[in-house]
Amino acid sequence: MPRAVLRIAVTGVSYPPANKWAQRRLYPAAVMADIPAFERGMLMAEQGEVRTYYMGDHALILHSGETAHYIDNLQAAKPSLWVSCDKDVVQLVTADPYEGEAMASDPERIVEALAMPLAVRRTIEAFIAEHHVAEEFYKRKRVPATSTHDPRAPRILSPDEKWVQSRGKAGLPPKEET
Amino acid sequence: MSAASMVQTAPNRSEYEELRAQQWRLISTVLARAPDNEMLDTLAGLTGDETALGQAYGALANAAATVESDTVAQEFFELFVGVGRGELLPYASFYLTGFLNERPLADLRRDLHLMGIERAQGRFEPEDHIASIAEVMAGLALGDFDAGVLGCGAAGEAGFFARHLQPWAAQFFDDLAVAPSAEFYRTVAEVGRIFIDIEIRAFALEANAHRCAVSGS
Repeated sequence: MPRAVLRIAVTGVSYPPANKWAQRRLYPAAVMADIPAFERGMLMAEQGEVRTYYMGDHALILHSGETAHYIDNLQAAKPSLWVSCDKDVVQLVTADPYEGEAMASDPERIVEALAMPLAVRRTIEAFIAEHHVAEEFYKRKRVPATSTHDPRAPRILSPDEKWVQSRGKAGLPPKEET
Repeated sequence: MSAASMVQTAPNRSEYEELRAQQWRLISTVLARAPDNEMLDTLAGLTGDETALGQAYGALANAAATVESDTVAQEFFELFVGVGRGELLPYASFYLTGFLNERPLADLRRDLHLMGIERAQGRFEPEDHIASIAEVMAGLALGDFDAGVLGCGAAGEAGFFARHLQPWAAQFFDDLAVAPSAEFYRTVAEVGRIFIDIEIRAFALEANAHRCAVSGS
């Protein structure tokens, strides 16, 4: 299966805790198509208590079998990349909306849909144009009983439907009388 | 039991019924198992007049005189036993529904139960085998069995025939006539087909006469 791998840079924003029992958590805030020359986890900006960190660059893998999902993504009002984090560490970046939303089923995990950069969008469009195969949805239906698949046995069994022994002694023609 | 004897004499009711019973019993005997030498000799002794049924009996007698019992046994095996299945499935349920042991067999068993008839020990075919139903028809004609419980007067026997044989027996004998292995049994099919036609018309006439008598009185 053909696939393409893009590198995506992710930045995260951490807000001050809302109360004294909560802790700071880092939320993915933006994705960039260009990889900056930063160390992972570097503090990029600080405005009061709001801190912006660089969360590293990650692979965005495009699979040819999921081009239909990418088309759905691009047709949405806001094409997005889904970034999934476990405890401040990015685990997955995907352009497949169904895979991204499936990651959000775990409440421990932080999943954000972030605006897709234009360069990434161009790359995905090119990938779709190259690999997409339109498949028409086909609903299988029960075969009607009046067709050739009639389960009823024939009233008269024809000779070629009979079971005959074709091997061994019994399959041979009778011996000629001498 | 030739057709000639039925036509030339004007038998009284009981003799007529006895001849009918013999015809049914003949069909039953030939279709229940392959006839042995003794049976073939008896069949070879049949004679018939120039009516269709008489000619069919003549053809049956000729076939019985020339054929060997082993050949007939092999033919019976190919037709009704076979490997997996025979060429024909002579059951009411199969002919009426396309499957074996379906509701027609249940209906037949209910009627037989009402009449107090049950399958003899050692007979393993389901009751809706053509030979079994023909045997019941023979018993009804002779008066061995009483169909009065199924309906008043002649409606009992006629109703039994109309429910369990009339819808499919003619079709079965047509199939028997064209089955690939049938040679001796082709003449049996001819006899059976003509006899079934006669029975159907006779029961219709009887019903018609009954209606006229009721409306006339």
